[in-house]
Amino acid sequence: MEGCGDFVQCLLPDMSIKILSCLDDPADLIRVSAVSSSWRQFVIGNDLCKHLCLKRFPEISSVGNMIEVENTVVPVVSQPEKSTEWLCLERNHRVYAFLSRGLSNCITEDCLIDAIHASSTDNYPEESILNTLKPGDRVERRASYWSSGGQSDPTVPETLTYKLISKLCLISEIHVQPFQAYFQFGFPIYSATAVRFRVGHPNVKIDVESDNGLESVAAQARSFCDKIVWTYTSPEFPLVQVINSSGISVSFILISSYP
Amino acid sequence: MSSSTKFLTLKTCDDKKFVLDEAIAVRSQTIKNMVEDDCVSNVIPLPNVNSKTMTKVIEYWKKHSEEGVSKDVLMDFDKAFVKVHHSILHALILAANFLNDKEILDMMCQEVADRIKGKTPEEIRKEFDIKNDFTPEEEEEIRKENAWAFE
Repeated sequence: MEGCGDFVQCLLPDMSIKILSCLDDPADLIRVSAVSSSWRQFVIGNDLCKHLCLKRFPEISSVGNMIEVENTVVPVVSQPEKSTEWLCLERNHRVYAFLSRGLSNCITEDCLIDAIHASSTDNYPEESILNTLKPGDRVERRASYWSSGGQSDPTVPETLTYKLISKLCLISEIHVQPFQAYFQFGFPIYSATAVRFRVGHPNVKIDVESDNGLESVAAQARSFCDKIVWTYTSPEFPLVQVINSSGISVSFILISSYP
Repeated sequence: MSSSTKFLTLKTCDDKKFVLDEAIAVRSQTIKNMVEDDCVSNVIPLPNVNSKTMTKVIEYWKKHSEEGVSKDVLMDFDKAFVKVHHSILHALILAANFLNDKEILDMMCQEVADRIKGKTPEEIRKEFDIKNDFTPEEEEEIRKENAWAFE
């Protein structure tokens, strides 16, 4: 009992787990697992990175199950000298540590950092997509909304594309606010009939803040939108039409910024 | 009520005896259960705790049982209490676990974790006298695998 420095070896496993569960930075757990082979064995064998990740982000548990069961992200390649079970634990160790580290940047109310592109705009810049980044329908006593250019065929979708705040984001809620024209007779609400959300990432680097003039930025954004790899598309959600409708179907697109 | 003060005798694994007010000793859930179950004879044996560690535990119990002691004083006491060599920390964790004293156990585990936070693997080895048994290749491999944690 005296003079024992290596608590992982001389304390009961429950107590070592208790100690290491006090660490709340995934980087600490990764460094702990690099101390010695018995420490590495202990951290990986007890799935400590996974427990930390789920403690900090309970919403991730369903994603986590998918990663494990469907063998996505990093498929386990069998190695003769290691058991498959151990290889899975090793993979979880890496994946969950990386996941909690990536997610720790986006504990924020608002995941949208920038507006990239609107499929059409009626009056630019008064009715630009940029207005949608600010909550509320009035900014500096002027109406703030985005308006499409309009289509004769109401089934043609309009799209709004946004950049997410971090490479890895956990989106738990999406708010869509249809605009009520408070300055028009009868206060019509110009909402879409339905919305759909897509998440993806570009396969090229994006530079929305280039200063080559508005035209080329718009062209750049358009061509950029063609190069997005979509990883998720939601079903269509009908929007309740309360008073009046413009009859446009809009699909909102969310993209993350990697690679 | 002083006439009813009961004393318990605790015997550590190195055969040292400690006579302690029962009201203080029952901070240990283990001792409390023994007292409540009436299975206390004259001496309570503590086979998993040595006298050096028990002295520390009793010091903590007595301070935290003092009447009218302010929160600040206790905080300063706790701060000084955990500033010991890691081997004593570990002995205290084992003792607190055996005695089932959650307060001391939590505090000690937090202290060990605090000594790990933000340190490199090499600094952690130094802190806890741990031998690095990885080959340089293995170590390089582990670092490469999660390079972000070593930046």
